[in-house]
Amino acid sequence: MGLQGVITGRVWRLGDHVNTDLLHPPSYFSLDASKVEEGLREGMRRLGADLRGEYTAEGLVIVAGENLGCGSSRESSVRALRIGRVKAVVASSFARIFYRSLANLGIPPLECRGVHDWVKDGDLIRISIKDGLIELDNARRFPISPLDRHIEEILACGGLVPYLRRTLDEI
Amino acid sequence: MTRGFTGQIIQAHAEGRKEGEYLSVRVDFVLLPDPTLALLLTDLRELRGNIWNREKVLVTVDHFAPPSTVERANVVKRVLSFVKEEGISHCSLYRGICHQLLVEGPWVRPGMVVLGADSHTTTAGALGCLATGLGSTDILYTLITGRTWLRSPEAFRVNLKGKLPAYVMGKDIALELLRRGGESGFLYQALEFYDLEGMIPMDDRLALCNMVVEGGAKNGLFCPDDITRRYIEARDGHPGQWEGTFDGDPQYRGAMDVDLSSLNPQVALPHSPSLVVDVEEARGEVIQQVFIGSCTGGRLRDLEVAARIFSGRKVAPGLRLLIIPASLKIYQTALENGYIQAILEAGGVILNPSCGPCGGIDKGVLGAEERCLSTSNRNYRGRMGDPSSMVYLASPLTAAATALRGEITDPREVL
Repeated sequence: MGLQGVITGRVWRLGDHVNTDLLHPPSYFSLDASKVEEGLREGMRRLGADLRGEYTAEGLVIVAGENLGCGSSRESSVRALRIGRVKAVVASSFARIFYRSLANLGIPPLECRGVHDWVKDGDLIRISIKDGLIELDNARRFPISPLDRHIEEILACGGLVPYLRRTLDEI
Repeated sequence: MTRGFTGQIIQAHAEGRKEGEYLSVRVDFVLLPDPTLALLLTDLRELRGNIWNREKVLVTVDHFAPPSTVERANVVKRVLSFVKEEGISHCSLYRGICHQLLVEGPWVRPGMVVLGADSHTTTAGALGCLATGLGSTDILYTLITGRTWLRSPEAFRVNLKGKLPAYVMGKDIALELLRRGGESGFLYQALEFYDLEGMIPMDDRLALCNMVVEGGAKNGLFCPDDITRRYIEARDGHPGQWEGTFDGDPQYRGAMDVDLSSLNPQVALPHSPSLVVDVEEARGEVIQQVFIGSCTGGRLRDLEVAARIFSGRKVAPGLRLLIIPASLKIYQTALENGYIQAILEAGGVILNPSCGPCGGIDKGVLGAEERCLSTSNRNYRGRMGDPSSMVYLASPLTAAATALRGEITDPREVL
């Protein structure tokens, strides 16, 4: 996902301190993509997501409160989001491993305070990383904290594996 | 610079490359538990195939140990063939939990940078190193390059003052910090512990550093002292070279004191490790299962204090007591010292060294609405079994006392 374009999707709203065990229950740990995806559906059910199928088909943008993704480092939770067509993750703050894993798998982790109080599941959201802005359907706008240049580089490559492939010769 | 010893360690390992706020940093040792290692193997093969240093990694099969489903058996098979193909020297199969094995071997010393593909890698910070967990793709980067990208966190000084009472353990100190800070109170910070009385046993230090991640910290670090020195000397036969690592005058963003002598046993209520109360406030809560184990609470001192409480007594009728020694070495010593016998006679079930039910993976998971008191580190909804089950976190002492009564019990009542 490039950093130049506009990301549009439907909001999946999460609260504060949503941990990775809740987002993706540990019993769904797997190397099999379909079981990982099943775990995400179970996580959505446990978290009370109110999303219709056609919304998830358009692509989702998580909008969460504080400390999103605390707990286990199991990357299956972030892989599940990639499989589940989550295009970007917005939160008031992130737990550190989850933040890094999102960037590493090419999903922009975006810090934004304020937008969380103004959205509900299924709302349309537009994000321009280049302009540092989030826009809702009612034209309300919220600024995103600027990404660190290192995270930007990783995201511009599409994740840490392509970043590593590009830089392998320099090392 | 208010970055403590952690910042000094990062600086000493930085190689001059910088991107944004991130420094490229040399890594001394990497911990690779089975499930999260399995996640990166496909990418590793596609990228290059070889790791940077096969002597500087420890592979453990501890989560799926032994595997209970065909899928997990195939994960373990993949991990073991990777170990063989790569010629990795340090691989531990069913011999204990990765975080305990990492500090039992002669690998980790003060001043090192240690990474692990598991959030509780913070445990090793008890030995005075910078130890932190990362996701599988970050670990893949390190396996190929021997480096990682780190930001230098702000460091906070924690002064542990006063004498540790016989009924208080490292786990209680961890829960007290979580009560104060909440689930994100230490987000992205380094917590550096000073044992001012020089009396906190290594097993308790490991339990405390294990749980700093529950408050969001990047790492927890015990400033090396005589206890550290004695531990490393007993382990390696010599204290090793690390005196010059620390310049003795680290700067901190802030400090807090914990008066150990006035601390009560603590309990974290469902479903957050930071929803902490004094044991008094949870007293009488009926419990169906007590679990003493995990990378937080299955060490030798944990089994010793539990055995002392169980000695000559029986667990409450109908209560299920599960015990998992954190490593084979601990298991053997507990056998020699009679702890296992005392636990068995009290009615406990001993499972093999492994992660067990803590992450909802292995034997001992909970059914609907069941209540478990556990010495592990997380009591998130559904982590240990059915989404309606409830987990209370406490020290091994409180766990043993609770097993005797079948309800949450202050260990002072049975000591």
